[in-house]
Amino acid sequence: MTSPALHDLDQLLAAWAHARRLPDADAERIRQAIVPAVPALSATWWSEFNSKLSTAITRATSTPVPALAALQ
Amino acid sequence: MTQSQDDAAVFTRIFDQHRNAVHAYFLGRVADPELARDLLQETFLRVWRRLSEIAPLPGEQQRAWIFTVARNLAIDSYRVSAARKAAEAALRHHATTQETTVAGPHAHAELGERLAHLDAAIRRLPEEQRVILSMATAGGLTSRQIGEALGEPAGTVRYRLSQARKQLAAALDLEDEA
Repeated sequence: MTSPALHDLDQLLAAWAHARRLPDADAERIRQAIVPAVPALSATWWSEFNSKLSTAITRATSTPVPALAALQ
Repeated sequence: MTQSQDDAAVFTRIFDQHRNAVHAYFLGRVADPELARDLLQETFLRVWRRLSEIAPLPGEQQRAWIFTVARNLAIDSYRVSAARKAAEAALRHHATTQETTVAGPHAHAELGERLAHLDAAIRRLPEEQRVILSMATAGGLTSRQIGEALGEPAGTVRYRLSQARKQLAAALDLEDEA
């Protein structure tokens, strides 16, 4: 049986375009070759995070003021 | 300049939006798939380097900017590789001697043969018709969008597309119903 696509220019062109189109995997390889690997989180983010973490640890481990008063 | 994750995300959006159209343009210009990929990569490398200028532009202006780069790269590739007439002659020779199938190995043999004939006929088209046909079919662009990208009136694009279709229909012994 003969496929209808064989006698339809639009369908043949669609098939040709599909075969010629850049595969997504190739496009992704090109994108990755252009965009340098960026760290998952920026240095600024880590700096702020460390600062907040240090503050939280300091607060958590320092003796509360009322407790200091009770000790005196 | 330090380019952040935000830049990468912005670039990816632009890349995904325009890559098929630019690739189709290069396929029409150079016919060699490997060279088309190389030129595509070079085009978007320039987009990446100038991202801060391009990103704020509306989509149509982004397309115009990208295609200006693409056209210049295609011209440069002609200068480097060979004179344009030699390239055209090579394309025609390739079309007549290597009617390679564009369908995959699992495609129906008859359809594969038909597509190979179509591919050869497309390679024989005048370049201005081949580029427009490729951008319309593989790139999925409208005549207006192709015209904006190439700096041609949409009517000229439609006319060339129509001429290309007529030539292909004749080459494949088909009726062109468009």
